[in-house]
Amino acid sequence: MIIAERKPMKELLEMVSDVKRLLIVGCRGCVAVCSAGGDKEVSILAAALRLGMKKAGKQIEIDEDTLVRQCDPEYIDPLNDRASDYDAVLSMACGVGVNFIADRCPDVNVMPALNTTFYGANLSSGEWKEMCAGCGACVLHLTGGLCPVARCAKSLSNGPCGGSQGGRCEINPDVDCIWQQIYDKLSSLNRKEELRQIMPIRDWTTAGHGGPRRRIREDLLP
Amino acid sequence: MSKIKGFCCNYTLSVDIEALIKEGLVPEDLEIERLPCTGRLEVPQLLDAFSDGAEAVFVVGCQLDKCHNLSGSYRASKRVKYAKRILEELDIDPDRVEMFFAGRGETEPVVEAARIMASRSKG
Repeated sequence: MIIAERKPMKELLEMVSDVKRLLIVGCRGCVAVCSAGGDKEVSILAAALRLGMKKAGKQIEIDEDTLVRQCDPEYIDPLNDRASDYDAVLSMACGVGVNFIADRCPDVNVMPALNTTFYGANLSSGEWKEMCAGCGACVLHLTGGLCPVARCAKSLSNGPCGGSQGGRCEINPDVDCIWQQIYDKLSSLNRKEELRQIMPIRDWTTAGHGGPRRRIREDLLP
Repeated sequence: MSKIKGFCCNYTLSVDIEALIKEGLVPEDLEIERLPCTGRLEVPQLLDAFSDGAEAVFVVGCQLDKCHNLSGSYRASKRVKYAKRILEELDIDPDRVEMFFAGRGETEPVVEAARIMASRSKG
């Protein structure tokens, strides 16, 4: 899922410092699952902003809502009808939701409440880890299912760098060297000989280096 | 809104709060809200208490291993911890909100919590 985290309160208070009527809009997609932008977090942020604004001696009216998703038009388009009721909409979705509201709701002054951080998995309650970089050219079939693009600090394609020591990455001793893990995984699967195959230089255009990406499935087009 | 707000599990505090105030055992500006279980308490309730004028807020739940609903007071303690983090971000002393624990029907820990929070509200 997409992992995000709330922006610091000081940044959010500055963002809404001149806002008199604010709508906080959560999302029940990924950000609800990673406890960053669902119903509960909307309610907490509203209470925190009310308190922060009161402390700053400012008046603000805050309404709360949470949409099923903010990455599908049917859920965000109704915001157009509500735009005149608010000075700003503070989205608790990932950056996709904020962008999509900005694209489709011309009169809505939309702001981000979250920092969108990575595609990750939930290791345990309150802990998430990056697992995928969304590079658009998956090589996981060659690496035992472990991603060298997202999980190697240098996104190396053909084995570890010289900084891999004792199975740890040189950037941080708490970070596993993913190439050590790939070697161990392929060894346990009796596939380590496959590592002798040199991966060609990556074409990063699929990773967004060729501009914003778009996917079309013609059979689903209207 | 009273200056000190307490949220208590219904299984703690067995003496009427008015009686405690009358006896001078707790501050006069103390307001207690009883909950079926402190696990029902959410972070916004803690923050709203401050917005409504409280200078200190506390929660008294059952002992962690004695909660009638097993994990209610544990959940409450985690929410108090998160409320502290938000207060800190808002430059409000995080010690203005606190979690306390009491045995079944015990009033004394609630009285003690109210006194501690009264002293913190003056800080």
